Amino acid sequence: MAAVFNSISPAEFFYRNRHMAGFGNATLAVYSTVRELVENSLDACEDSGRLPFIIVDLVDESHDFVSVTVADNGTGIPYQHVSESFGKMLFGSKYDTRQKRGTFGLGATMAVLYGQITTEHAVEVHTQTGTSGGHAYRLLIDIEHNVPIVESDSTLDRDGPGTTVTIHIKGDLKRAQDRILEYLRMTTIVTPHAKVLLRINRIATATLGRWTEQLPSVPVVSKPHPRAADLEMLKRLIAENKQKSVRSILVESFQQVGDHTAARLLRHAALDSRKVGWSLSREEISRLSAALKSFDGFARPDGSCLSPVGRDSFLTSVKSVFPVSFCSYGRRGPSEWEGNPFVVEGVLASGDSVDESDVPVLYRFANKVPLLYDASDDVFMKVLKKIDWSKYCVRGARQVYVFVHLSSTRIPYRAAGKQSIALVPEIEAEALTLLRGLARELGKSARELGHRGRSVKKMHEFAKSFRLIAKFGASLAESDIPPTERLISGLFEGSDNGRVD
Amino acid sequence: MVESTNTRDILVQLGKKVVQSILNEEFPRLEIPDRSTDNIVFDPEQGQFVLGTTRVMRDSSKIRHVKSFAQLVWVASFAKDLLDASRTSSLRDLYYSSEAFGVKFVDQAESDRIVADLESLSGMAREDFGVFPEEHSSVYGQVTMRYTVPGYLGREVDLTVSPDGLPIGPALMTAEPVKSNAEIVLAVECGGMFARLIETRAWERFKAVLIHLGGQPPRSTRRLMRLLHDRLDLPVYIFTDGDPWGMHIAQVIITGSANAAHIRGLTIPDARWIGVTPEDIVEYSLPCDSMNDADIKRLDELALDSRYTGPEWQQHISGFKDLRRKAEQQAFSRYGMDYVVDTYLADKLA
Repeated sequence: MAAVFNSISPAEFFYRNRHMAGFGNATLAVYSTVRELVENSLDACEDSGRLPFIIVDLVDESHDFVSVTVADNGTGIPYQHVSESFGKMLFGSKYDTRQKRGTFGLGATMAVLYGQITTEHAVEVHTQTGTSGGHAYRLLIDIEHNVPIVESDSTLDRDGPGTTVTIHIKGDLKRAQDRILEYLRMTTIVTPHAKVLLRINRIATATLGRWTEQLPSVPVVSKPHPRAADLEMLKRLIAENKQKSVRSILVESFQQVGDHTAARLLRHAALDSRKVGWSLSREEISRLSAALKSFDGFARPDGSCLSPVGRDSFLTSVKSVFPVSFCSYGRRGPSEWEGNPFVVEGVLASGDSVDESDVPVLYRFANKVPLLYDASDDVFMKVLKKIDWSKYCVRGARQVYVFVHLSSTRIPYRAAGKQSIALVPEIEAEALTLLRGLARELGKSARELGHRGRSVKKMHEFAKSFRLIAKFGASLAESDIPPTERLISGLFEGSDNGRVD
Repeated sequence: MVESTNTRDILVQLGKKVVQSILNEEFPRLEIPDRSTDNIVFDPEQGQFVLGTTRVMRDSSKIRHVKSFAQLVWVASFAKDLLDASRTSSLRDLYYSSEAFGVKFVDQAESDRIVADLESLSGMAREDFGVFPEEHSSVYGQVTMRYTVPGYLGREVDLTVSPDGLPIGPALMTAEPVKSNAEIVLAVECGGMFARLIETRAWERFKAVLIHLGGQPPRSTRRLMRLLHDRLDLPVYIFTDGDPWGMHIAQVIITGSANAAHIRGLTIPDARWIGVTPEDIVEYSLPCDSMNDADIKRLDELALDSRYTGPEWQQHISGFKDLRRKAEQQAFSRYGMDYVVDTYLADKLA
């Protein structure tokens, strides 16, 4: 019997597998739509060199329909690319090698697609690249052919450059809103120069940031590291440079490869360095590809394409968002995993909390995006659990928070939902060294505190009870839990007010 | 429950006071009426024990106080949660619940003490915020009560509905009497006697609401007795074993206990102990046991207790001391099953 083979378009494929992209249920759909749009907005602002100001507007419409609007003051989208950016899967500006929040220009289109299928609404895009002359569009996706359909396109001035996108989707706003608020709050931890306004049903619900005016370093576009090249990439590079020698192809296409290194590599691959592109056989190309992986003569990848948060900004944002007293910052890298440069940086903080646990609370970030789901499978969670925190006076003392941020040209996500980082040995090793170092700092500070005045144990017990007073007092008064850290540390640092009787 | 909004207010105010103080960067402090025996005085006017004027300061900045301070605030928040959810709990349940909130008590005695702290601080009985003791006593009689608890609001129950008597729980304690054929309340110490009085239809004969005390009765039982006494104007008679312990059960119902000196609205000053008195033991020639050392010691204590200063009480005490014997309620059974109803109670309640 003859089987019927059908090819499906990427749009159709992603709709069928929407759970992989984070659109599996009504709550997640709202959350993921906000997330994708906010990430695009922040990337656009970073490119513009302006301090980002993002407005997120969520409105409950009839029949579980939610409209999600995200406005930014970024670069705007070049008008010739608008329709494809939102109306075609796997189209985007993010294929170059530098750190970006989004990866393949997939997410926002996924949201558009999901919205279109659940509500039959077009996406509304209003963008402006200069000081005037913006454009407003209504777009749909031709799912079968993966091409955009422009319903309308009109010139419309916007108050300054930037982009406003409105997507109507079927979703559950009530259940998603806490998650979204948490997501935005965490976003400002790693993007502390951004200001984010959240409005729910036209009521201003939260204003977050800006914690610092300091702009992050702009990541520089760089050539890929040779170890990051797979066979497909290599074939493409050779096809594009048919007339050049294999040596110059290597030198021109990759970083950390000069004439000298290229010569050594080709000797390692047993290839004639003068051979030109077109004359390479299939077998030779795959030998070269294998040699790129096995050759150990490359220098580490260049980290200038990365943009970590940085010591000052990271410490400032953590202190702005969490009631913490002790805070320390550490950073490892740049290192590489399979040729992709990465930096792991982290802040370890301790302070007031009523929900004490023996293990620190972990907050994970990748390329300035907070990861809120699937923590248990994450490489950072594994590292956190490897450390014996009781050695560093964590137990029962103060609540300890760990913030870890991975910057890389490529984040090894476990799944398309982009919520947890795979167990890559190189990343794991650097993260472990980083957290151990931070934990030692914490231990030192806790011991110093203990030497001064009264025993740590007494203080821990006191603090524990006192935080319960604040917690249950607040639950009685139906108010927020008042901060207790200052009172407690004041009592134990002021040495001779004789309160311990 | 009419007073529930009020009770809730008091708890919320307590929380606000604590939170405000922390926000002002001051350690919260609470003044709690002192419940130690030095501060308990018998108020002849009210006919019950009351707390004196001494207060103790609980200061959360003191290492010695901070733990019990936290426990107290937790009990208050637990109480408020109970009120908000219209639920009830028991002292034991409260003790076990504490662990889920990260609050630790050494034993239930400690958590009971903290509950009493909250009572004296707030001036409310724990029953007001839904915390009841584990044990139940029972009631039986010709009274119809109307529930006020959610779920049963407005439903009525005839207290003769079960031949075993009806357990006195939170719901019955807060119910309102609506109809009654009864003329007296008769409280008896042990379950055997309670069952006997139901079976022999003594409740019909004496037009009595029967209460099974089961030793020292829970406060909810005392509440219900007081309610029946106040609302239906029923005189209260107490029938216990003939020993210092039984006598004291009656005394607590009449004038209150030192443990609950901070609580009002439990005592029934004009309730009467009908026996078994020392005279009854002699008059009815009841089979009896010799008193042991503990019994004698208890009599000595009671002789000095300010609640027993009345001549009638002193007479009972010296009667027991002279007799050095004690008799249980069931002792009347030597004269046959119905003797206690036909003869003894008929005499006493005539």
